[in-house]
Amino acid sequence: MKKIKIGYGTVNKFEISKSSSLTFIGGPCAIENNDHALYMADKINEICNKLKLNWVYKSCYDKDCRSSLNSFNGVGLEKGLEILSNIRKKIAVPVISDFSNPAWAKQTGSVCDLVQVPAYLCRQTSILKAAAKTKRPILLKKGQFMSPWNMKNSVRKIEEFGNDQIILADRGTFMGYNMLVNDMKSFPIMSETGYPVCFDATHSVQLPTSMGNVSGGQREFIPSLVRAAVACGIQVLFMEVHDNPKKALSDPNTVLDIKYLEEVLEQALIINDARNKILTKIGEDKVHLND
Amino acid sequence: MIKNKDIMLKIGSFPIVKEKTIFKEAIEKMSEFNLGILCIVDDETKLKGIITDGDLRRMLLSIQKPFSAFFIDDVIKHSKKNPITSFPEENIKETLIKMNSSKVWDMPIIENEKLVGLVHLHPAIKNLVSKI
Repeated sequence: MKKIKIGYGTVNKFEISKSSSLTFIGGPCAIENNDHALYMADKINEICNKLKLNWVYKSCYDKDCRSSLNSFNGVGLEKGLEILSNIRKKIAVPVISDFSNPAWAKQTGSVCDLVQVPAYLCRQTSILKAAAKTKRPILLKKGQFMSPWNMKNSVRKIEEFGNDQIILADRGTFMGYNMLVNDMKSFPIMSETGYPVCFDATHSVQLPTSMGNVSGGQREFIPSLVRAAVACGIQVLFMEVHDNPKKALSDPNTVLDIKYLEEVLEQALIINDARNKILTKIGEDKVHLND
Repeated sequence: MIKNKDIMLKIGSFPIVKEKTIFKEAIEKMSEFNLGILCIVDDETKLKGIITDGDLRRMLLSIQKPFSAFFIDDVIKHSKKNPITSFPEENIKETLIKMNSSKVWDMPIIENEKLVGLVHLHPAIKNLVSKI
């Protein structure tokens, strides 16, 4: 498995690989304002430090995939990157944001330690090329309409454009209309690309556009899905968190209340540790692998 | 004395793909030639594996996943990794004896570890018959 090097400059730097411990990517879905972003980064940092967990602050400056024009769509590129830059300076944590326009990629990569390819855009060559050219590690979300094996096409595109720092994330797969399911086989399947895999727990519980012009969500299933994904084998856990989900400006129905973050992460770490012990004792999965 | 190099198919006359070619494109490449074999090479043209029509037939019965997942696998994943091979200077008679005992229609020809040709049974027989 490829080693993904996270962080530049003065932030916490670490590697994501087969042998590394679990990494957490989290934060509010959208950047709301500077004070809120700093408050959230500080709170998450406190929890991750306590758990000795490497983490990346995630928040987006432009939410281009809102169901309605009336929904908050972000603080914008310039302001958003300024806020993320402040977080890097004050909390010394790497940051990530997605970008939905190839023209924003270079600027996003000049500030962010990683860039994220949105799930809906995961096949778009112009987006993948722009992400690759930032030279930053890329969090590539599997589209809800994509099979895990077909993500290899997107991976190959990014590689062709000169970037081999990729993390593949599962955020659920459409089952009919307004409903997502998680196929846990997606983790070993996407791992066959040779890159680390990530589970996006909070978007996985989304009920896309189930409320007419906004998405609903079943947050009560976050812990079960996290436990299952970690047991399956992931290197990165992604969860959007907020201190007041009801008032969150984006994804209020799926974001995890920060009051639950520590207990969910702790469960994830315990299961990850147990999984590593099991595989050390019994060996890597080989059941019917070469039959 | 006829040697492999005298009757082997030269590079460009039989299907060759790289290890990371996806299976669907590999099958398409196989179909471009009227041969039942595909040779898989690395960047230095070293032979890394082969797939034959028979292998494909057996795979159809053994692969337990959707075709879309099978088609996007790297071709090397499903290949026969250590096929029997010969070299350009070997007597064709020896090669044909080996092919007969191994029950294969094709024999990749290797020189200095690189794939340089393919002895295919039909042209070999045609050539030999013309000399009888």
